[in-house]
Amino acid sequence: MSVNWPERISAFSRSPSQFLCSTTAEIFLTEILRELRDDRANDLIKVLLLSPLLEHPTLLCPSVSVGEETALELMSVFAQCSPKSLQLRCHLLLALTSVLLCSSCVTSCTSASQDFLDVLFQMTQDTNDLQAGAAVRPLRSTACDCLRELEACHPGLLSQRLELLSNLRQQENSRLHQAYTGLHALALRNAVYLLTQQKGAGAEDLKAALGSSEGFVWARGADSEFHSDMALLSPLTLGPMGRVPTLQTGPDSKELRSLISSLLEESYLLTSLSQAALLQKLVEIVSMVPAVSPTIFRAQLLRLLGTCEVCLLHSTLLMKAAFTDSLFSAEDEAYLLKRLVSLSQHPLLSTPEKLFYMDCILHFPENRPISCGDENLPVLLTPRLAAALVPTLFNDSASMLARFNLLSLVYLEEGEEDRDGQGGRGLAYLYDHLTSLLHVMENQGSREMVVTFFRASFLFLLHFCHVKCYSEDLIQRLCDMYLRQTRLAPHLINLADRIQDRLVESGWALALLRALQRSITEAPLSQLTLQDFRWHLRILARVAEEGEVPQRATLSFLLSVITSNSSVLCVSGDWRLGNGLLGVCRRLLLHPSLDSLLTPLADLLQYLTCYYGDTDIQDHARLYYTLLTTLSREKLAGVMAQGGPERGRQAKVHSLSTIMTETEELTTGLTVHQTEEPVLRLVKLDSPEPDAPEPDSKSHNEANSESNSSPRRGLEERESYRAKLQSPGFVSEITLQYHLTHTGVYDPHFDKLFSIRLHFGLTDSNYEEVSDISVPCLFRTRKPPAVKLRLKPKQPYPTTLRASAVFTTEDGLSWHSSLADLHVTFPEVFLPLPGPLGWTREQKNGVFEEIWSEISSVASKGDLDNGATSLFCDQLDNWAVDKLVRNFQRYRISDCSELDKGGCKVLFFLPPQSHVLLRVLTVEENVQVHIATDNWKLLPYINSYLEDITKDLHTAQVNSDG
Amino acid sequence: MSVRALWIITHEKGESVAVQFSRRYPTVEHRAKFLAGSLYVTVPEDGAVLQLLLTELGLSDPDKPYMALRDDCFHQQHSPALELHVEGPGGGVLWPMLAISQGPLILACLPLVDAPAESRPPLASLFSVSQGLTLLAGLQAFLLGSKGKPDSEGLASRLAMMPFILLQVCPLGTPLDIPQPGASTAPAVPTPAGTQKQPAWKTGLHRGRAVVNVALTEMVRSMQYGNQSRQDLWDVYGTVTCKCEVEGVLPNVTVTLTLPPNGSPLLDVQVHPCVSSLDASILTATSVEDCDSSAFSGPYKFPFSPPLEPFRLCSYTSQVPVPPILGTYQLKEEDNQLCLTVSLKLHESVKNGFEYCEAHLPFFNRNQMGNVNVKVTSGQLDVSKEKNLLVWVIGQKFPKSREVSLEGAVGFSGQLPGPTDPLCTDLTAYIKLHFRVPDMTLSGCCVDQHSVQVYSSAKPRIVTSRELLSSEYYIWNSTGTAPLSSGHMML
Repeated sequence: MSVNWPERISAFSRSPSQFLCSTTAEIFLTEILRELRDDRANDLIKVLLLSPLLEHPTLLCPSVSVGEETALELMSVFAQCSPKSLQLRCHLLLALTSVLLCSSCVTSCTSASQDFLDVLFQMTQDTNDLQAGAAVRPLRSTACDCLRELEACHPGLLSQRLELLSNLRQQENSRLHQAYTGLHALALRNAVYLLTQQKGAGAEDLKAALGSSEGFVWARGADSEFHSDMALLSPLTLGPMGRVPTLQTGPDSKELRSLISSLLEESYLLTSLSQAALLQKLVEIVSMVPAVSPTIFRAQLLRLLGTCEVCLLHSTLLMKAAFTDSLFSAEDEAYLLKRLVSLSQHPLLSTPEKLFYMDCILHFPENRPISCGDENLPVLLTPRLAAALVPTLFNDSASMLARFNLLSLVYLEEGEEDRDGQGGRGLAYLYDHLTSLLHVMENQGSREMVVTFFRASFLFLLHFCHVKCYSEDLIQRLCDMYLRQTRLAPHLINLADRIQDRLVESGWALALLRALQRSITEAPLSQLTLQDFRWHLRILARVAEEGEVPQRATLSFLLSVITSNSSVLCVSGDWRLGNGLLGVCRRLLLHPSLDSLLTPLADLLQYLTCYYGDTDIQDHARLYYTLLTTLSREKLAGVMAQGGPERGRQAKVHSLSTIMTETEELTTGLTVHQTEEPVLRLVKLDSPEPDAPEPDSKSHNEANSESNSSPRRGLEERESYRAKLQSPGFVSEITLQYHLTHTGVYDPHFDKLFSIRLHFGLTDSNYEEVSDISVPCLFRTRKPPAVKLRLKPKQPYPTTLRASAVFTTEDGLSWHSSLADLHVTFPEVFLPLPGPLGWTREQKNGVFEEIWSEISSVASKGDLDNGATSLFCDQLDNWAVDKLVRNFQRYRISDCSELDKGGCKVLFFLPPQSHVLLRVLTVEENVQVHIATDNWKLLPYINSYLEDITKDLHTAQVNSDG
Repeated sequence: MSVRALWIITHEKGESVAVQFSRRYPTVEHRAKFLAGSLYVTVPEDGAVLQLLLTELGLSDPDKPYMALRDDCFHQQHSPALELHVEGPGGGVLWPMLAISQGPLILACLPLVDAPAESRPPLASLFSVSQGLTLLAGLQAFLLGSKGKPDSEGLASRLAMMPFILLQVCPLGTPLDIPQPGASTAPAVPTPAGTQKQPAWKTGLHRGRAVVNVALTEMVRSMQYGNQSRQDLWDVYGTVTCKCEVEGVLPNVTVTLTLPPNGSPLLDVQVHPCVSSLDASILTATSVEDCDSSAFSGPYKFPFSPPLEPFRLCSYTSQVPVPPILGTYQLKEEDNQLCLTVSLKLHESVKNGFEYCEAHLPFFNRNQMGNVNVKVTSGQLDVSKEKNLLVWVIGQKFPKSREVSLEGAVGFSGQLPGPTDPLCTDLTAYIKLHFRVPDMTLSGCCVDQHSVQVYSSAKPRIVTSRELLSSEYYIWNSTGTAPLSSGHMML
């Protein structure tokens, strides 16, 4: 009993989500049900306990089964209740309705919902308190309302019980007849609607429906059908434009007509709210059944037109929308409109009512509407009639704006007729009113008045921006006002923004900003206060966003303010003010006329960097200065414009957070980001373009013809070659070709890459530093670009290079990504004999022989300086030998035909200065490769190279044999 | 025609705001979900609703001069139907949130938009809007009590009654009735059902002596400028309040209003829903167009069957040829003080017998008054405690000449600044008249005791009364610029 239920329940209603954090819906539900069954708890507490079920049944009963169980519990509590506990029993009925409907028990036609419906129906049949007595009347009334809600959520449920409902309604003489009337009218409306949806339904079906007294129609609740037919739940789209389904009954619909008549006759006995609801239902029924003429409502019309109740007059208007001139004459229409105008300014009505009536004027249901759409004035609303609604200074804000809007529409034509002139008197009045508002606002007007003035200005401009004499005068007045009331800067900026958004064509906003800039920059500096300057910065920042407005004046104003001798601005070092200044600078950095602003802007930034009394501002200014002076326009724009215009607009609102986002954006723009995985790779090109032209056939022939030239000549060439070798500019590079492509990692962000810079790092000291390679762009959709990597060996050994890339993505961000290591293999270092271009094969042969003999002689002397000879043997058939020799194609000095004579001569030049010479001979089944090199350290590499290729050949041979 | 949820909020000038009571109608919400389909917007929890509502009403963050969400000029409030911009998942625009506020009370409800969700229907086409407005206004009247101003105790006790009140007037989201001003939790002893249908708006039956009380109150408004270029304005509006204690389930009573010969016709007549029938001629005249002299001018018959409580049978407006009191007000600024000249003239057609008649002369945007050297030809002059208001008590009668005047000078040498007002700057100043004349109306409209007909067995006692009251009766200083109160004369 220690539980403080009132507190718990109110905690739950305040915030169910928070409450259920500390417990679960299941536990809470169990606790509630247990307490409800507890006899010791009093009724007040129990009513309170029901409120979670009443208001949030879906939270507590999330499924049909939980709903069903809960409903059964509640029904048993209901059954055990003392008959005196009226309030509790009423609330139990309401809670049961909520639970059963919201947990879809009714839709699923569960037994609890069937039982509940029976209970309700039984209660309602006790008309005139014959059985239970007058004391339980509230219970009966609640039961009727529960049934009505069930029918509202499951239209058609009671459609087969119309006769019974009609009888109950007629029998009941206590105040409860209202509840029966509401129930009957709704069931009738739904039944008629369902008949209109039945093919071929007619008078007989209607008669049968009206006389039906069968069970409940559960099938209607099937969710699919329920979903598809919204019209069941919503009133039929009424009015001449809407399509209303009709039930063709022929002239015979006496029963329905008399039913409607009797309902209408008794409508007077209902409360205004119920009366209006009944009328609404009857209007729907009559519009569905053409056999019943709308004139059936005529007798009620005068009473309704004269009513002081907003809901009754409203239902009359809706009736007019539904039946137009079949019920309302032209006089009625004119009268109704005049009535609405007079009610819209009636001293006895409340403001919400008056505003609602004004809205009704804007959507007046005309008998013959000229156009349909939003907010059209009825033709009958003449300026003379509307004059009753002109806005005055005595109106409250909401009424004033509603009137301003309405009258703007009334005078719209005045503005149209006289585009360049004065406009009419009505327009003059509206403008006068606007200026009076401005005047009032300046005289210590409240915040509400300020907002109202700017809203009225917006409305005025929206309608009459093109009437020059007013729109220009307004700019002047706003500027004058601004200098007196600089605190209104955010409102002015907001007005400019909104007019620019809404009236794209009009240059009004631009003109206003220009004028504000002029007012600010031309005002005498001596009168400038710090507070004014803060607001000026807001305005100037907004002005700087306009590409069409020249910004020199802004800059010279700012420069003169911060550099003036009397200025303590810089010394004070106010952080927020500094940020205001930077805010302007930031926008200027993006301004299209930046080129012409370069010097003054740089001056300003430099001044801030050097003299502003706040380090953060100094840093920012320095950053901006650096950006301004070093980045290209495009990159600058990219860096500064991060985030797009929407975010910019949003950020403008919160000046403080702008700085934060600015910083963040800048950081993003200027940082080089690291990709998680390599996104690029280099793919080796298989057939490199030949560095030097292959000896042509002519020189080949020459070589053949001159094969027997004198050895002296070879010596000569050798000497000249040796001399060349020593010269500094001699061929010392190898060039490797790759394709730069994307790796398999797919990220659309990297589809288009720009300004790619490849960087290579050495892993040993055998090579000179490799210079970076630039690639303009790489698109996933295009052919990969070729990249030439030039290596300058110090020692011609194989090596591994580390590679990485820096690039820019489409959104302007810079990225760093490492690539897979590049392996430079031994044969990739080979170059052909780098003799002069014109050398014949003969001459090359001479050099070969010279170098060979030199190495051999040195080697045979045992005088191992650097030279060395070696022999490599393998067993290969002719085919394989042929293949082997073909491997040396680029480096061959002599033909394969010499394999069995002097041997096929091959010369590898390995920059910077090494040579490897091969003589390939076939001796019987064996192949002998005689090796001579002037760099003995290369021997192991040569060996493994030869082993590699012969191994490949063996494998290939085996494969081909197999 | 139902509401999805209902809130009652209290605040003190935008501060210490709290949701005092809220009620959600899940079955209506269930329908809203079906109707809106994918465009359904959940109603947030009370705290969030409160914040959004305050923003829309311009009451949030009163210390911030500008907030984009609240003060955007583009954001035209279509009061009383507000848009709540709900953020987060399931968010969107909740519309139309109806809100009415008076004093410290804000009442709001969210009517069901029972129309296809694709395009927003005009407010005027939603039946549930006028239902919601009526419900809110009824609850407001109930919560404010008979005085129209809540005392905190009374408010608390009435708030505690809300669950029981709603059980009667709006049990499942469909408004059925509005609470009676004196409603209590204890259900009235029900009258046994008889053979005649009892009106649903009649809570019980009267037993005892029949008494019919008909009170006619006329209010007169005026704006007088004392200026050739500005036409003075005045108008009259009247209400007839009845309290009928008559036996029977549906007794018939007829009240007839009559005008004197040549009296200008009653305009904009509105009647209580208990009026059973109306003649078309009663309704035709409206204030928004020129009356033609041949218009119907009575007698105005109102047959009705009364409810038990006092009720406003009908109201009207009228355009009378002259204002009851014509005044002039002139101010001159001289030597740091204001010279005042006021004269008031009571029209000869008006009965010279007031319950009270006072002229208030407030001074804004100045320091407190110092020396007051003012003479009046009749009545007496008081300076208010705050020293910013002269109260000229003219009393029960104007002198024989029917003219009174005031002359003198006021200095504003006080130390403290007086109240401010954005309208009354420089020489823009006004006199406001407060008076009550019993037993007369300006329009001449009256309810003759003998014209009240009651069709019942016992002869009833019939009491009628009438009075004229001032309301917004201003006389502006003719040497300053006075604000316009109507565009009629301009257009």
